[in-house]
Amino acid sequence: MKKLQSLIIGIVIIIVVLLLGVRQLEKSTGMAGAQVLNIYNWGDYIDPELLKKFEEESGYKVNYDTFDSNEAMFTKIRQGGTAYDISIPSEYMIQKMIDEKLVLPLDHTKIEGLENIDPRFLNLSFDPANSYSIPYFWGTLGIAYNDKFIHADKMTSWNDLWRPELKDNIMLIDGAREVIGLGLNSLGYSLNSKNIDELEEAVEKLRKMTPNVKAIVADEIKMYMANEESAVAVTFSGEAADMMAENEHIHYVIPKEGSNLWFDNIVIPKTAKNVEGAYEFINFMLRPENAAQNAEYIGYSTPNKKALEILPKEITEDEQFYPSDELMSHLEVYEDLGKEYVGIYNDLFLELKMYRK
Amino acid sequence: MKKFPWSRLYLAVVFVMLYTPIFYLIFYSFNDGGTMNRFTGFTWDNYTAVFEDSRLLIIVLNTFMLAFLSALIATAIGTFGAMAIYYTKQRSTRNALLSLNNILLVSPDVIIGASFLIFFTMIGGLFRSFSLGFTSVLLSHIAFSIPIVVLMVLPKLREMNDSMVDAARDLGANNFQVVKNIILPFLSPGIIAGYFMAFTYSLDDFAVTFFVTGNGFSTLSVEIYSRARQGISLEINALSTLVFLFSMILVVGYYFISQENVSRRVRKNRQKREVTDLQ
Repeated sequence: MKKLQSLIIGIVIIIVVLLLGVRQLEKSTGMAGAQVLNIYNWGDYIDPELLKKFEEESGYKVNYDTFDSNEAMFTKIRQGGTAYDISIPSEYMIQKMIDEKLVLPLDHTKIEGLENIDPRFLNLSFDPANSYSIPYFWGTLGIAYNDKFIHADKMTSWNDLWRPELKDNIMLIDGAREVIGLGLNSLGYSLNSKNIDELEEAVEKLRKMTPNVKAIVADEIKMYMANEESAVAVTFSGEAADMMAENEHIHYVIPKEGSNLWFDNIVIPKTAKNVEGAYEFINFMLRPENAAQNAEYIGYSTPNKKALEILPKEITEDEQFYPSDELMSHLEVYEDLGKEYVGIYNDLFLELKMYRK
Repeated sequence: MKKFPWSRLYLAVVFVMLYTPIFYLIFYSFNDGGTMNRFTGFTWDNYTAVFEDSRLLIIVLNTFMLAFLSALIATAIGTFGAMAIYYTKQRSTRNALLSLNNILLVSPDVIIGASFLIFFTMIGGLFRSFSLGFTSVLLSHIAFSIPIVVLMVLPKLREMNDSMVDAARDLGANNFQVVKNIILPFLSPGIIAGYFMAFTYSLDDFAVTFFVTGNGFSTLSVEIYSRARQGISLEINALSTLVFLFSMILVVGYYFISQENVSRRVRKNRQKREVTDLQ
């Protein structure tokens, strides 16, 4: 009993010390007791310096929680029980959230700096008139290749992925819409196709590519490419930017037939308790100097055209990440396909993944 | 000729397999290069980064506080739960209770996590003030730790000689005294083992925690998982090294505490022998 007693006392002391430690740390960040702004964002998707700056300016304490997929975020917010004031989903998920009434409509009189945003990124199909969302970052899906193994001239279109010399040398990002989408694009069809014949044709074509596919992977793609495990990868522009920072032989190209253009936008979920703070945060992120700082830190492309003037020329003139208008006109945004077609895409992709020749 | 020590070789292989990844990770925590691809030079930068990142530090402290606290409460509940199961008279009821306990032990974390999420959001719907965060994580950690404690304490109860309890009753002890002076001291090795099992379960749980965190409360596993999307930074390596060292200290400390008990007993025995020798 003595032993148990002293153990319990020891544990309680440790718990109290830890509790005091947490309190002390919270105080040292200077915001204990202040009003809280809860942000729910992708992991490592904002410059931490900006959060500090925002806390100093506004007096709010920022709680920054992270998620790793749109679907996980959607579930958490739909289930309720959280109090997120800000979230940053991708476009198809925003559409879904609007349909399910999970986001609050924005009061545009409270938003300053929307005019800084490039009009190309406003009033898009998933949220006409931007009544629910404000652009945060955008990017494309494309091909990252290593110039040690393949020449730049031979990698300009989706159809180049079918080249026999790439046998067992391509990595694909593990996403149904991305992979089926590239099949559709290579045939000149729309990414949002709801035509079964077109879909079957795309999958049939993709099957012919399977000998070239080395792996279908997720985030690890970045590491593999940097380590030159594979010559070519189909991936997102920001991922490619990270690869390029680590390996100078890697380049990124948006195929000339067109590709996916995606957006991550800021929304205010219906669970928000600090709506004033949310608006303040949106205005803060719309300011050109902040958007520029964030874009430099993250490596994705900013929709803020005033920020482009601040960013160094070698970033903004990089056609890989800020493509020309001509190329932009070929890019397509994912639309929410509805439950039935999401299922069809997933089934086709699953069949493709299992297919072995 | 001495026989080749296969068993030692086997043990060595097991340990190499267990520790190589950890040492690999520790090695790169000192890397200047910023990635785990090539070692370019020695630096402490990753460690200073950990100590400057107060958000990460708060998460670390919270994780440990949660583990200590949830294991403590779970041990208290689990110990008495084990006693209740053991002292259930009817055999079929006892077996049923034990099976229910075991089902919870083998059911997948994801399912436990999802059911907690649904349960807590339902409570959140009834009481406006309840929301996901520290309380929900604590409650679910306690809940999934209880079956483990029960399973660690039950064998000790079976080992116990029931005549000790009968003797205590014959001498006029009431229920409270029996529990305090006979049963709990006898069970304490099992209770302590159960506590440490619950502690480690809580420390490394990801699936359940992932579902029930919210509102600024997060644990290490969830945080590292969501950072992994951008590639794990060496800051995490440095932090993992620190946590690994901390666990080593805990184990060594536990070893010395148990050593001290042993030596005291040895000393007592020796004294006893000297006394008998004198007589």
